[in-house]
Amino acid sequence: MEKTFYNIFKTFFKVGTLLLGGGYVILPLLQSELVDKRDWIDNEELCEYYALGQSVPGVIAVNMSAFVGYKLMGFWGAVAAMLGIVAPSFLAIVIIAKMLDEIVGLKFIQSIFWGVGIGVLMLIFLAVKEMWMKSIVDKYTSWVFFFVFILSACCKVSPGILIVAAIFLGIFRESKRRVEAAKVAEISEDDES
Amino acid sequence: MILAQLFFEFFHIGLLSFGGGYATLPFLYHIAEFRHWYTAKQLTDMIAVSSITPGPIGINVATFAGFKTAGIVGSLVATASIVLPSFILVLIISRLLEQFKHNKYVRSIIYTLKPAGCGLLAAVGVDMFVNNTNVLGMFLLVVLFVLSLIEKRDPLFYLGVSAVAGIIAGLFGWIN
Repeated sequence: MEKTFYNIFKTFFKVGTLLLGGGYVILPLLQSELVDKRDWIDNEELCEYYALGQSVPGVIAVNMSAFVGYKLMGFWGAVAAMLGIVAPSFLAIVIIAKMLDEIVGLKFIQSIFWGVGIGVLMLIFLAVKEMWMKSIVDKYTSWVFFFVFILSACCKVSPGILIVAAIFLGIFRESKRRVEAAKVAEISEDDES
Repeated sequence: MILAQLFFEFFHIGLLSFGGGYATLPFLYHIAEFRHWYTAKQLTDMIAVSSITPGPIGINVATFAGFKTAGIVGSLVATASIVLPSFILVLIISRLLEQFKHNKYVRSIIYTLKPAGCGLLAAVGVDMFVNNTNVLGMFLLVVLFVLSLIEKRDPLFYLGVSAVAGIIAGLFGWIN
């Protein structure tokens, strides 16, 4: 299939429609649509975009689509891919948003939502567990987790402020490492002379 | 005015939420507390709804919140705002791909952001647990947890089980 604006949009619209249960399934879906069926990119590239999509803020599925779209057709490719991935989600909610309040009022539905609320909590804990295993690897990362958790849970500090603080901390950590590396280099130079 | 607020809130979620999947949730719960566009309960319902409708949760909730506050225009503004930072950043990064991947500052920032995102989400989980869970809920949570230990399954499986549990609890009048 040719890589035109419309074709890219259509492909991502299809992926967006199949994207149920959160964004997790985006990788297998894109594999089937882009690698197997269309041969637009290879698996290795796709996995790289998946990793990249996670290192950019925002919704991963959207990031990944934009990366792939850009790779396929530059600026307009990214636009087409993003529109395609977002449109089904947008349309679905616009259609049900009006009904949602009425539906939620029904007693039967309230029981379902009560149960599902617990299910969501479970999913959040599972996500935390998974993130924990990937991200908390040493003393430094444990402290970051601990501070962010306390400030957010107990002091209700806004998530935005904490994320910005973490960004600065990351910059500070690297700068400090560089200064120390420079010092070590200086000392070893002194030793040599 | 409301449109400007929608733009600001959702743009900053798009710009600052790291870690994917549920990374937008801490921000969305924060909005529920401070903006009153939707309640925390509505957001929890929305997460459930969003798992059976197409698309990522962040997009679903942005559309929903926009719609609740300013109709269809609001949902357009909120949805566009949450994806705009991604779009801009991806365009920049795609051009500087090699530098971005190997930059030590970028790596150090991501290394720090991962546990931070995890901490934020853990705080949301604990908050929800403390505020909304009664004894019956705790029991259901334990059951789900045990199920997850036996075999890891698709998110829809847990939501299905808990929906059925909700229906049963409702029939017996155990809720409320």
